[in-house]
Amino acid sequence: MINLGESVFILMVFLTMVGALTTVLSGSIIYAMLGLVATMFGIAGLYVYLNAPFLAMMQILIYVGAITILIAFAIMLAGPFSKKPKEWTTVGKFIVSLIVSLFSFALFFSFVMKVPWSEGKGVFSSSTKDIGRALFDRYAFPFELISLVIVVSIIGATMLAIFSRGEKK
Amino acid sequence: MTEAFLYNNLNIYLFLGIFLLCCGILGILYRRTLIAMLISMELIMNGAGLNFVAFNRFVSPDGPDGMVFTLFIMGLAAAEAAIALSIIILIFRKYKTIESTEMEEMKD
Repeated sequence: MINLGESVFILMVFLTMVGALTTVLSGSIIYAMLGLVATMFGIAGLYVYLNAPFLAMMQILIYVGAITILIAFAIMLAGPFSKKPKEWTTVGKFIVSLIVSLFSFALFFSFVMKVPWSEGKGVFSSSTKDIGRALFDRYAFPFELISLVIVVSIIGATMLAIFSRGEKK
Repeated sequence: MTEAFLYNNLNIYLFLGIFLLCCGILGILYRRTLIAMLISMELIMNGAGLNFVAFNRFVSPDGPDGMVFTLFIMGLAAAEAAIALSIIILIFRKYKTIESTEMEEMKD
């Protein structure tokens, strides 16, 4: 007996996991980017299930709309990558990185699942208004610092582009 | 409250966060191009954000703190992606490759 909400939730979880595995294991970098898009949509669906629809909207806007498009521009600017996986990797490297990944997975899994997380009392109902109020009240200084970081990164990217144009002769 | 549903369970979200983290670690170690490494780092950041929102929902549902931190993570990821991609484009113009094993001018 499984209802519609649970089946959609399971679909979102599998979309996230398959997208992550596609991102990591696919040979072409375009497929990796599309796997990242699938992962972002799955995580946005999970945010909806976590009662955070504003974050789901921001996830789709920022990650799918901005970062992925930026990565796609970089891929197209930096040329084609048509190498097959067996040309750019070896079995030994894959096995070693898989061992490291699985070891860290087991480590974090044993840590996280052992802790009895106390279920909080009360109903979680933070609206977008609460988020905005927290941003301008308690987190005003980190908010301004984030905006400063973004301004610096924009100026830095522009200056890198300008100086590379000058060096090119 | 409907507690018995599958999506009202904290452990699934924690498992998914750990899964994304380990996929990111595997990608950073395994992929050879710099852009794929950057994509793997985005996976790690998303796992962290998912865990923040899950803890905010289940453990401390009093304020929107975890959601605010996830918004900060998104802003930092955008800034990081912009800077890293511009550096990658510069590296490609200079060395004609973006594979991390072939950039060995500063070795030794």
